[in-house]
Amino acid sequence: MSSRKGRKDAARVVREQIAREKRRKRTLWTSIAAVLVLVIAGGIGWAVYSSQKSDEFTAPPGANDAGTGIVLGTGPVTIDLYEDYLCPACKQFQQVNGDTLDQLVDEGKAKLVFHPVAFLNRFSTTEYSTRASAASGCAAEDGKFREFTEQLFDRQPPEGGAGLSNDELVDIGAGVGLNRDEFASCVSDGTYRPWTEHVTDEASKAGVTGTPTIKVNGSELQDRSPEGIKSAVEAAGR
Amino acid sequence: MTVTPSPSRAGRWQTLRPWLGVAARLGLAAVWLIAGGTKVGDLAASGRAVNAYQVMPYDVATVIGAALPFVELALGVLLLVGLATRISAGVSAALLVVFVAGIASAWARGLAIDCGCFGSGGQLAAGQTPSYLPEILRDLGFLVLAGFLLIWPRTPFSVDGWLAGDDTVEDDDE
Repeated sequence: MSSRKGRKDAARVVREQIAREKRRKRTLWTSIAAVLVLVIAGGIGWAVYSSQKSDEFTAPPGANDAGTGIVLGTGPVTIDLYEDYLCPACKQFQQVNGDTLDQLVDEGKAKLVFHPVAFLNRFSTTEYSTRASAASGCAAEDGKFREFTEQLFDRQPPEGGAGLSNDELVDIGAGVGLNRDEFASCVSDGTYRPWTEHVTDEASKAGVTGTPTIKVNGSELQDRSPEGIKSAVEAAGR
Repeated sequence: MTVTPSPSRAGRWQTLRPWLGVAARLGLAAVWLIAGGTKVGDLAASGRAVNAYQVMPYDVATVIGAALPFVELALGVLLLVGLATRISAGVSAALLVVFVAGIASAWARGLAIDCGCFGSGGQLAAGQTPSYLPEILRDLGFLVLAGFLLIWPRTPFSVDGWLAGDDTVEDDDE
């Protein structure tokens, strides 16, 4: 009697042990699979990003030595201006300060290094920030960077849409006196897209995380009014 | 032999818990799928959002920024189908703790950034104020979902449950 009960108990214990062992193995394997999925996902992200990144770039004529922006003027004080052609606050900044900056450059008080960064690609459906910035590189080829930039801000498309098409960019370029055919092929080939990427990367490395950002001789300016810019340039020039 | 008194508090909890579990699992899955989905289209921007926290060198930030959206999407899918729920909830909780720590440290250091939790990210335009407290509270809310799944990972309609077969009562694994 007691031995039969003992055998039944033993069998039950063994069954439970087998079930536990099965459970443990299953947990182990699903856990390994899950961790693998996460690691592989991360690796895919890195691989996709690396494949999107271009290593070589050609800076357009008129760029600074580091190839991070277009230089306007030759003044002793350096103004670094970081703007995205899609950024509404940048358009506003240009409206308020554009004349002041032009004046400082024309009077030989400062040189302006304009960094056309592409921070806002996700706010257009066609990577307008990158296309516009690369097109500005094409405009720099014929020394029309300043005029083209002014026009782009005047005709800035709203965020969230398709932006201006390449054809519209070419029309604007022809409007400021660029050779239509050369400019059109430069824009459609995306000749300066790698350069735009370089400009954007270097801006991030320099600690620029938003647009517009203005630096006078390397230090970021908080007072972004015409007076603020003028007095900062004067102080830096002394 | 004692008969358990019908609908006891414990009994209600027993019937409610699996459904709360499903809700937590699908809720957290949605969080990750949306978070990853809004970032995956612009990996460079995702890297810049990580870089805006200024806690690691730029090159490291770009790698993290590129990997993160895909990890978030994978976590979302794992939770959606209910595979390895406990590990997924654990990783979710760990990520959320890192995010909360990052936002809190940005706050403490006086940085003016968008957390970049669901796309955008980076520095705010002049005049915009950061919303650190709501961001942290939101992440703590997600942390509660992850905590629930860490404690009770077994939920209905999950691959875990399907793999385990009928013995849905045991919940001491996965």
